[in-house]
Amino acid sequence: MLHGMPLLFGIGFIAPLIAQLVERVVPGAEQAQWPLLTGLAIGGSWGALAILRGRWL
Amino acid sequence: MSVVATAPDRDLDGLSTQELLRLERAIAEQFMGGLPWGSIIWAFTNLTVWLSLWPLTLSGGLPLWAAAPIATLNVILAYLPSHEAQHRIIAREGEPLFWLNELVGHLSLVPMGMAYGAARLTHYEHHKHANDPELDPDINTRSDSGWHMVVKDIGMQLQTAPKMNTAYANALERIGTEDARRAGAVALAYALAKNALLFGFAWAGYALEVAALIWLPHIVGGVYIRFFLSWAPHHPAADLGRYRDTRGFRSRLGNILTMGMQYHIIHHLYPRVPLMRHPAAFRALRPILVARGCRLDGI
Repeated sequence: MLHGMPLLFGIGFIAPLIAQLVERVVPGAEQAQWPLLTGLAIGGSWGALAILRGRWL
Repeated sequence: MSVVATAPDRDLDGLSTQELLRLERAIAEQFMGGLPWGSIIWAFTNLTVWLSLWPLTLSGGLPLWAAAPIATLNVILAYLPSHEAQHRIIAREGEPLFWLNELVGHLSLVPMGMAYGAARLTHYEHHKHANDPELDPDINTRSDSGWHMVVKDIGMQLQTAPKMNTAYANALERIGTEDARRAGAVALAYALAKNALLFGFAWAGYALEVAALIWLPHIVGGVYIRFFLSWAPHHPAADLGRYRDTRGFRSRLGNILTMGMQYHIIHHLYPRVPLMRHPAAFRALRPILVARGCRLDGI
């Protein structure tokens, strides 16, 4: 589980964080699904890459 | 507390090493004992402020731009009261107020999400092995300069398994007692609980709020704590030994903003002297520290 923690962090925290940032900045985004999907795509792939590289950046 | 002897009262040149040590101990002992009320009040005030940020922020009553710096300050202030408890300064095991010692030890660390047992045991290892490249769990803060330390620390925080966390886990493994195993398990549970809290609030629609109350403060506050509590008092962290592994230093930020760390050398020599008496103890012991060849950079 600890090995997979970056992926969990990407999906569990980064994804909703990105979604809620977008919803605050982009007018009308609050009603749409795409901010969350964008967050999941970025957070999930960022977390997966972090597992492979051992670093977030 | 009445100070009956200070080093300047004596001619140190004529004293043998043993006499100097006896005088040093006699002076230091005058600064020990009594309840460190300042640290106890500090612990509970800081925790109360941090806890009150939650309803205020989640309800929208406090804007995020105000909540984040306050929470960061809470994180920065969370460690030192627990540090007093780690050294049993409030009360020792078997004393009537030991429960208060442990309560302060555990609760003051809550804003940092740090486990008291692991903090205490690994901190003792730091005292035993200060600056030892293999055995000091805090050695990862060793850097060429202040800026180097900050860059290096941020680099470590970007690791998926930060080097400093690995050093603490290794220290607990080396200790190898049942206490250490339990402390490691509790520390892991704390880390998982912190993530569960982040994930839960984030998916409930409060991602920005928990970022302001936990995530950012842990990153920024962590750098500040490691800078002043670990890097600055041990820099350049090259020497070993009682009188050389820690230094006194003068910071442009002064004593409060460095959280008393200018006098951290007193803590490594006499861990049971309360933090708030370090400046006075330092002044009383300074001539002995000079005679011992301690590094006192501008103070």
